[in-house]
Amino acid sequence: MARSSVHLPEPPRRSQPLPSPTNDAMYHTYRSDLSQVRALVLQQAREAGLAESRSNDLVLAVSEVAANTLRHTRSSGTLGIWHDDDEIVCEIRDSGTIADPEAGRRKPAPDASGGHGLWIVRQVCDLVELTSDANGTTVRMHMALRSPSPR
Amino acid sequence: MLYNTHVDLLTTSVATVESGSEPYTLVELVGEADVTNSDALREVLDACVAQQPRTLILDLSGLRFMDSSALHVILRANRAMDRQGGVVALASPRDPVAKMLRLTAADQLIPVYQSVSEASAG
Repeated sequence: MARSSVHLPEPPRRSQPLPSPTNDAMYHTYRSDLSQVRALVLQQAREAGLAESRSNDLVLAVSEVAANTLRHTRSSGTLGIWHDDDEIVCEIRDSGTIADPEAGRRKPAPDASGGHGLWIVRQVCDLVELTSDANGTTVRMHMALRSPSPR
Repeated sequence: MLYNTHVDLLTTSVATVESGSEPYTLVELVGEADVTNSDALREVLDACVAQQPRTLILDLSGLRFMDSSALHVILRANRAMDRQGGVVALASPRDPVAKMLRLTAADQLIPVYQSVSEASAG
């Protein structure tokens, strides 16, 4: 069962910063090349030892969040990836704002014209942290490296 | 096929297959289908649907990745085909794509087969 926490500010308070990544975090700025984003996630996930099926899940999740940068902003986004012995974390930062604190929590109808992206992220990731305010959005997706079975 | 960006990330080929009992339109998707090429994919599928085939089969065996934007385009084509009394079928999804179809329950809306031949017989 995916755990997720949403730290959304009540306006006009600024959002709380998320804990800092490890010192050897990898960063990549993307504008429209999501294939490269996916390749980086897959490479890092494999290096961290994440199981193949779960690596594909993480690639899908990160790609969906990065796709939202393209869908909803005209700016670039930043991908950050780091891991320790226990988990791998992928972070997407962009200039967009997610206004709905319940974003991704309701399963859209299969035939819905939108809204699948964040829902998918919450389904496949072990933990999702999302902060969003007028200055931008940060989504952190966590996958435990040792997990009993894929979803 | 015309694409605005990432010309080779997704290629599609369209054929009308006439051997066997009933002709069908076969669209092969090769590469990665995401938001950056979903408009182009929509154009391809719109053109196929406009020909009013009875059956539209998407061969996904060469597709490494599909995101929700690409899925929406496929669902849109499915609705259009349904309005015309036609059917869409998906064939041979790789594991990541099959998982995506399962997660979103799209596989409950569009039949998924393990091969094109099964799809054309179904």
